[in-house]
Amino acid sequence: MNAIEIHDLHKGFEGFSLKDVSFSVPQGTVMGFVGENGAGKSSTIKCMLNLLKKEYGEILIFDKDHVEHEQSIKSDIGVVFDELHVPETLNATQLDKIMKQVFKTWDTDYYFERLAQFNVPKRKKIKELSRGMRMKLSIALAMSHHPKLLILDEPTSGLDPIIRDEILDLFLAFMQDETHSILFSSHITSDLEKIADYITLIHNGEILLSESKDTLLYEYGIFKGSREEVSELPEHAIIKKRNGAFGVDALVLKKEVNEAFRLERPSIEDIMLFFVKGCV
Amino acid sequence: MMIGLIVKDFMTIQRQMKAQAFVLIFLLIMAIFMRESSMLLAVIVFIVTIQAITALAYDEQSSWDKYANTLPIPKGDIVLSKYILSVLLMMMGLVVALPMVFLINHLTNNEITTEFFFTFIMIVTSTLCLLAVLLPIYIKFGSIKGRMVLIALCFIPGFLLGVFKEYIPDITRSFLDVKQFIYLTPFAGLLLLWLSSLISTAIYKRKEF
Repeated sequence: MNAIEIHDLHKGFEGFSLKDVSFSVPQGTVMGFVGENGAGKSSTIKCMLNLLKKEYGEILIFDKDHVEHEQSIKSDIGVVFDELHVPETLNATQLDKIMKQVFKTWDTDYYFERLAQFNVPKRKKIKELSRGMRMKLSIALAMSHHPKLLILDEPTSGLDPIIRDEILDLFLAFMQDETHSILFSSHITSDLEKIADYITLIHNGEILLSESKDTLLYEYGIFKGSREEVSELPEHAIIKKRNGAFGVDALVLKKEVNEAFRLERPSIEDIMLFFVKGCV
Repeated sequence: MMIGLIVKDFMTIQRQMKAQAFVLIFLLIMAIFMRESSMLLAVIVFIVTIQAITALAYDEQSSWDKYANTLPIPKGDIVLSKYILSVLLMMMGLVVALPMVFLINHLTNNEITTEFFFTFIMIVTSTLCLLAVLLPIYIKFGSIKGRMVLIALCFIPGFLLGVFKEYIPDITRSFLDVKQFIYLTPFAGLLLLWLSSLISTAIYKRKEF
């Protein structure tokens, strides 16, 4: 079963559009959703949440249409944006009282445990909290009704490495339950390397790739050499090429290349750069 | 779920309401000196009810709707909660203002007259009508743009009043004729508010966040 399935999603904006976006997030996995700023990550997520109305295409969450079954789907998901969109005069204790009325499954004890774990003050107004604290509060809010799916839109952007590490550990703990899934949008590729099972790359509103992380990291390799050396590589093995510091860099399929060629292991960032800036 | 939204709005405007308490004390003192209770009632009801707009402004400032629409709350409930909040605030305004009015009348040896009941009913009706106009405008345009639209809307009746000046005495006379039906006007106000909530819901459902 897929936690999320998107087929041919289209949505136009002034000067930009999502073009036939299709990918799926298998249940029990973490999907890293990468792309540069303005590539269409947030717009795709907003379409999934029906915050933006799609023009055409199909979006299924837990195998149900995202508009037809909007309320039941939203009872089982937790959403974190890059900001906490809650009136700044409220505090964490007041938010508990509100959420108790919103979710039947709201777990006050779990919520306050998370706040204590993250050292988030219970009675300090949101406007007095640091950005890191707000994000931690946002994550505690998203998880305390025990959702099955977390949709995270740049939850770690602008946070220091220590806070990011704490937050990633919490997501890893959430994934201990094999019915849980995460869609994690970020341009911090190191975070995705740590927790993602799959990577979907979006560029200019189009999906460039959607693959298992292991396939990308272990089946792909980077060859760095002169133009002549690169021309000796079998053509069908080359996925993308781009100009490197001393010649040409090529992203290749490892198994299609002779061992005589010394290949480097790519990072998610390398792969992203090859797909966005490279050519065939 | 709707209770959650109303609770949230009351918590959001709590501080603002406390600040308004000082204004109310000042108004009370002024009203006692001026021996004017009807004006006090109107101002208090207006100040308290208008806090619903403050709640909308706080929501807009924090992009609350973007978050609220990720929660399992129907869009209709989000809109309706603002209408219920407004009516609750109006009732709170009345509960706060009426004892003050009675106190002033007691101190000034004025009796509660039929005229006062007319004023009371007109205040309630006007507040309901005001909400019926304000809420869809603020929901559609937000608090900054909404204010501009509202100013523009105020100019239109003024302009029309100027153009059709000669017909005005007739209108006043016909208003006096309907005075006997004044007790029904709050119900008309409620009906207008209900229609306004339907319009606001339709507007909100078409919005993107």
